[in-house]
Amino acid sequence: MNSTHINKVHEKRTSKMLVFLMFMLFLSAGVFAQQKKLVSGVVYDTTNFALPGVTVTEVGTTNVTVTDADGKFAFQVTIGSSIEVSYIGYVSQTVVVDANTSTFTLKLQEDTFMLDAVELVSVGYGTMRKSDLTGAISTVNADDLVKGAISSTEQVLQGKVAGLTITRGTGDPSSGSSIRLRGGTSLTASNNPLIVVDGIAGVDINVVQPNDIKSIDVLKDASATAIYGSRGANGVIIITTKGGTKGMSINYNGFTGVGFASNRLDLLSADQWRGYVRDNNITDAIDFGGNTNWQKELEQTAFTQSHTLGINSGNENSGLRTSLSYFDNEGIIKTSGIERLSANISTYQYVLDKALKFDMGLYANIDKWSPLDYRIFERAINLNPTIPVYDANRNFTSVGGTLYENPVEILTNRKVDNKRHRLLGYFKTEAKLFNDFLAVVNTSLEHNAMQGSTYKPSYAVLEGLSERGYAQKTYGEFTNAQIEAYVNYTKTLGKNNFNAMIGYSYLENIYEGFGAQRSGFETDIFGYNNLGAGYNYRLGDVYSYKGKSNLASFFGRANYSYDGKYMLTGTVRRDGSSRFGANNKWGVFPSASAAWTISRENFMESTSNWLSNLKFRVGYGVTGNQDGIGEYKSLSILGVGQDSYYDPVTGTWSLAYSPTQNPNPDLKWESTAQTNIGIDFSLFDRITGSFEWYNKTTKDLLYTYQVPQPPYLVGVMLANVGELSNKGIELSLNANIVKGDKFSWDANLVFAKNKQKIEKLSNQIYETEEIFSGSLHGLSGMSNQFSQIIAEGYAVGTFWGYESLGVDESGEIILGTEQKAIGDVQPDFTIGLGMNFNYGNFDAGFTGYGSFGQEVLNATDMMLYDNNRLPAYNVADDFLTSGITSAPQFSSYWIEDASFFRLQTVTLGYTMPFKKAGTKLRVYVLGENLAVFTKYSGVDPEIDLTGLSNPGIDRFNNYPRPTTISFGLNFTLAN
Amino acid sequence: MKIKIIAAIVIASSLFTYSCTDLDEELYDRVEDGDFGQTPGEIQALVGGAYSSLRGFGDAISNSYPTCEYVFFLNEVASDEATIPTRGTDWYDGGQYQDAQRHMWNADNRMILSSWRYCYTGIAKINSIIYQIDKSGLSDEAKAPIYAELKSIRAYYYYNLLDMFGNVPIVTNFEDQGLPSNSSRQEVYDFVESELLEALPLLPANKVYSKFTQSVAYSLLARLYLNSEAFVGVPRWVDCIEMCQKVTGYSLTTDYFASFLTENQTSSEIILAIPYDSAAGTVGNYLSSMSCHYLHRLTMSPTGDYQWSGNGICAQPGVYSTFEDVDKRKKAMLQGDQINMATGNVIVMDSGEPLTYTEEIVNFTNAKQNEGVRLHKYEMKAGEKWERDHDWVVIRYAEILMMQAECYVRLGSPGLAEPFIQQITSRAGTEMPAVIDLEFLDKELLREFIFEGKRRTDNIRFGTFFQPWWEKGTSDPTKAIFPIPASVLSTNTNLVQNPGYN
Repeated sequence: MNSTHINKVHEKRTSKMLVFLMFMLFLSAGVFAQQKKLVSGVVYDTTNFALPGVTVTEVGTTNVTVTDADGKFAFQVTIGSSIEVSYIGYVSQTVVVDANTSTFTLKLQEDTFMLDAVELVSVGYGTMRKSDLTGAISTVNADDLVKGAISSTEQVLQGKVAGLTITRGTGDPSSGSSIRLRGGTSLTASNNPLIVVDGIAGVDINVVQPNDIKSIDVLKDASATAIYGSRGANGVIIITTKGGTKGMSINYNGFTGVGFASNRLDLLSADQWRGYVRDNNITDAIDFGGNTNWQKELEQTAFTQSHTLGINSGNENSGLRTSLSYFDNEGIIKTSGIERLSANISTYQYVLDKALKFDMGLYANIDKWSPLDYRIFERAINLNPTIPVYDANRNFTSVGGTLYENPVEILTNRKVDNKRHRLLGYFKTEAKLFNDFLAVVNTSLEHNAMQGSTYKPSYAVLEGLSERGYAQKTYGEFTNAQIEAYVNYTKTLGKNNFNAMIGYSYLENIYEGFGAQRSGFETDIFGYNNLGAGYNYRLGDVYSYKGKSNLASFFGRANYSYDGKYMLTGTVRRDGSSRFGANNKWGVFPSASAAWTISRENFMESTSNWLSNLKFRVGYGVTGNQDGIGEYKSLSILGVGQDSYYDPVTGTWSLAYSPTQNPNPDLKWESTAQTNIGIDFSLFDRITGSFEWYNKTTKDLLYTYQVPQPPYLVGVMLANVGELSNKGIELSLNANIVKGDKFSWDANLVFAKNKQKIEKLSNQIYETEEIFSGSLHGLSGMSNQFSQIIAEGYAVGTFWGYESLGVDESGEIILGTEQKAIGDVQPDFTIGLGMNFNYGNFDAGFTGYGSFGQEVLNATDMMLYDNNRLPAYNVADDFLTSGITSAPQFSSYWIEDASFFRLQTVTLGYTMPFKKAGTKLRVYVLGENLAVFTKYSGVDPEIDLTGLSNPGIDRFNNYPRPTTISFGLNFTLAN
Repeated sequence: MKIKIIAAIVIASSLFTYSCTDLDEELYDRVEDGDFGQTPGEIQALVGGAYSSLRGFGDAISNSYPTCEYVFFLNEVASDEATIPTRGTDWYDGGQYQDAQRHMWNADNRMILSSWRYCYTGIAKINSIIYQIDKSGLSDEAKAPIYAELKSIRAYYYYNLLDMFGNVPIVTNFEDQGLPSNSSRQEVYDFVESELLEALPLLPANKVYSKFTQSVAYSLLARLYLNSEAFVGVPRWVDCIEMCQKVTGYSLTTDYFASFLTENQTSSEIILAIPYDSAAGTVGNYLSSMSCHYLHRLTMSPTGDYQWSGNGICAQPGVYSTFEDVDKRKKAMLQGDQINMATGNVIVMDSGEPLTYTEEIVNFTNAKQNEGVRLHKYEMKAGEKWERDHDWVVIRYAEILMMQAECYVRLGSPGLAEPFIQQITSRAGTEMPAVIDLEFLDKELLREFIFEGKRRTDNIRFGTFFQPWWEKGTSDPTKAIFPIPASVLSTNTNLVQNPGYN
């Protein structure tokens, strides 16, 4: 055994001093030994896993040591004394040291309720025990992730983390979701948190499949995310995947489901339309003789299947996990859906007596889908219900008119096929040095490629006829190559725990692609496979592009804790990006935080029977967001674009080169300063929870601000100007309501409230009074019109327009005289709720999420409540009884409270008992989106509230969300 | 122990091997301005950019196309020859067309911003090109004619600003990024005049299609002098005639519409045109689709093989009847029943009514779909692309003739105007008037140049602009120029709003 452990530290001390002076203090804090009796041992948990960091104390003295990474300890104790072995989350054990025993093998029982205390939480470039955290971090384990037909991985977190809102604006399986943590800090497109998969930052979340996830840590406040510097302002989602475990196990997880539309707009049926025409004596209305529900004609029953097979094996020194999955998620609109094949392999190997560890992994998947032409939804609403889908000759009925093409024809005749490949590979080396140091080098490569193919045949009404056949192929890819190296130093001396990390990272992103399109095809038989067969060629029909950016970073973190009571953390990161302007190449992002576990204080003894954990945390930090800056935005660039000029001498066209943007050498990241105060608590051994309060202010908001012309070259300029604040609170609660032998009942609840305000939009150089957003462009008569304002004192997504004062006798909506703020899309609060019940071998559960107080513009109704539509265009059922006669005009009349609570999943499962340990078979039924509780009058209240173009605007392009029922099976065989 | 040390070395060295902190941007598919403009080909590509700027652009802030949205629309709708009525909800668009029609525009009007940006984006581009040429290795002799060409294009933009906005800032230096102040309308006028006069000797003396030649500069000066009284209160009729006389090498085409064919680049009449070719990627040239009815495509071929149309701009009531039936130019408008080529019958609209374009527009704020005669000056062909191929005529020889006629009439010598008017009317197939007076000239200018975007300027010069017509009452004299766009004013505090708009 490693009995000379302590002496070795002495021997090595001088050399370490030279290299890491900063650690000296702690090293020299005095390691002393009394010459009594040397005892040594190893501490395991009940599954024979060695436990590092276990405190071993000679009872009644200050003589303390801790176990090393292999769970081993050795120290001198007085013969006849007792040693206590204690570890947070485990029941402490005491053994007596007699003259004969000098080695101990100890097994600690888990203190089940305190389990989360030893849970290791990923904090970026390392892990920490949950009990040692000083920042706001929420962890969701695999069992608690949202289950079901999940085609975009972030959806596993929907409603699971307080303050994290995941919204999928449509029911289209091929669409992703917007992810917002604590409001959104930027006006520009990206407010998405940074995604970290197995230590690799900035990757596409869909590279990981839900079944491969072991746990997800969501870093929320600046003291937690500042370690990711200029990419940390919107939070960080750290995904840890399953890895090889001891022994062998094979797991199959599969389900098959049926989905159907849960709701659609109530429009006039053909009979209602005829009734209307008859009752109103409209003589010139055209009855086409059909009986069509255009919305239904677009729909299909969607079948979904998912199969995942995973194999794990491992021993003392190595582990291997492979998984293969196939997922076919049909959409409830014909032709839509997504099909994915993915594979994942990860392995690790210890060598040299565990001094070195190699880790490698590869994730790969292929997606195939046919993107929809979303214009079908507006057509389906417009078309007269008496128009049959097909005419007498079984051709698509085509009745000319604006936005009046047969949507089934569009859906059928247009062929679009997309493919995407994702690949992420990494190789990681960990070396243990001088006992206390762990050096890590992680190199990774992410490659993501997409190919698109489109063909609109010469008979396709939209763009096919006019182009005489149109074909397009596009290809785009990006590669992120990254190397990260860091050194971790951990030292425990008595009750002092010290940890420090310092590192460097370099990321290179290269994107490139090309595309070609042609029209004028003599035949449609080639589809998109032979572009050369098209005879029409225009400038811009072929193109290619390439760009690159680099991010270089230095970072460090230090933690100190004393006796599990007092914790301090400081981090700093220095980021340099090629995208930043010449005057601002490097940014520094610091943070500091502290925590006090008050429940461990002696004076809290009296309450420990009901208050087993009470911890206060406070943190402050500055983080950045650089996603709003594309490549080359700071430079004075000449581009070709569509700028051709005619040369009258030769009679030919050539390409002109023109400046394309206003250069901005001052361009830099947005910086968010955030203060967070948190409380963690455990009550009655049944309830754990945390409460957070935060206040964050984002400065140097990036936006393409309008600049005066003259003198500027172009009318807008990407610059750092405004200021935006988000303040809020969050509450997370987990409860074991009933924990019996046979029956148990768990519940979890998250609650969050955020208030956003634009503080400033101008500075000395740029003057912006307001920015109009929430475009209504494309709605009849609303070209270039906006419904929202971004202005000082308001939240993003504030509706700006006339207030409706009611409806007069003639059905005219009476409007106020002045435009003003008439609602906003920011929710008052959001909640997530889940419950699980176990009874014997049965289990049941549900999850749901809700958002309350957000106001949305029901532009669908606004356009459908129009007298001019009938008889040619269909209208809403209730329009006829509404008595509204005003022409569509944006006002508060059309703004509705869209509060809702969605019953997201309901499961019922049965686990078959097997005699053989480790063999498990569970069958289950899963219902998704079974109910939505709302007063909103549109099809679905869950409307994407993010972005600037049309947040919170329901404008009849909503792909309805399916209700799905699935049957699943989960089988595990292990030994 | 040794092994551990080796491991440490390996890892430490890998740390430093990759310690790269190079953050310079590497460009692949574009070029920084400093790296361009060295070879003759590159110089040509830069100057070409000045010409391509004339086609305007569309972006998130405005649609600045001189051919329709919105530079053309604004000038047309503010004049007495065209209108964009609201039809149901269609073409309401915040009331911007209604406001323009009624001369009740305010500084927020998007069409006004679009026009402002059309000019200043062009000016800024030319300033940047001058800056690039300046830095290039060309000799001063080689640079001089390039500057002359670039500065005359810039003067054309300033002429438009002078006409539409009056008191605008004059910016000529690309590197000067300070916020400029207004110049007076007189200063802008003087600037346009001096720039053109200075450039003239170095411009090509011969006729070069679509280029800024001496004839183009003379024509622009003639326009400037013709409107001198309206612009700055000083009539310069004689100067206008003098400039017109220097425009040589052009003649009227026999067929009035020859200048408006898809292949109009061969017209002997065109002095300046902005070339378009959809295959060359030119954008913004789709006026016909902005005017005709949604179902108009059915009139073009039995298969309806024509672009979608949006049923917008049409002639103001009273314009169509200003033309005699014998007037060949009347075909610049579409009136009457529209026939479905597949069936031979009149097209039936959604409402069940026949598609018959009428001169009358009963309710300007809720017009019927078929009301208003349509713009039909440029050739429309079945199967053509959304982006039309005809070049956009800016100056044609008929204008030189009409300017001279008008000046002689204004100078009190209507007899001297006769030979010019004779050419115009004989081609149109109409009678010479008994007397050539201003009233005749006003109407003849409408007939000759209908839908060419010039009418607003003519209305102002003739004073009719301020009198009531159709949907508008008397207009204040301050309406002769548009307000400086609100968004420009709010971002540049050095600018002062035009009188009457505060």
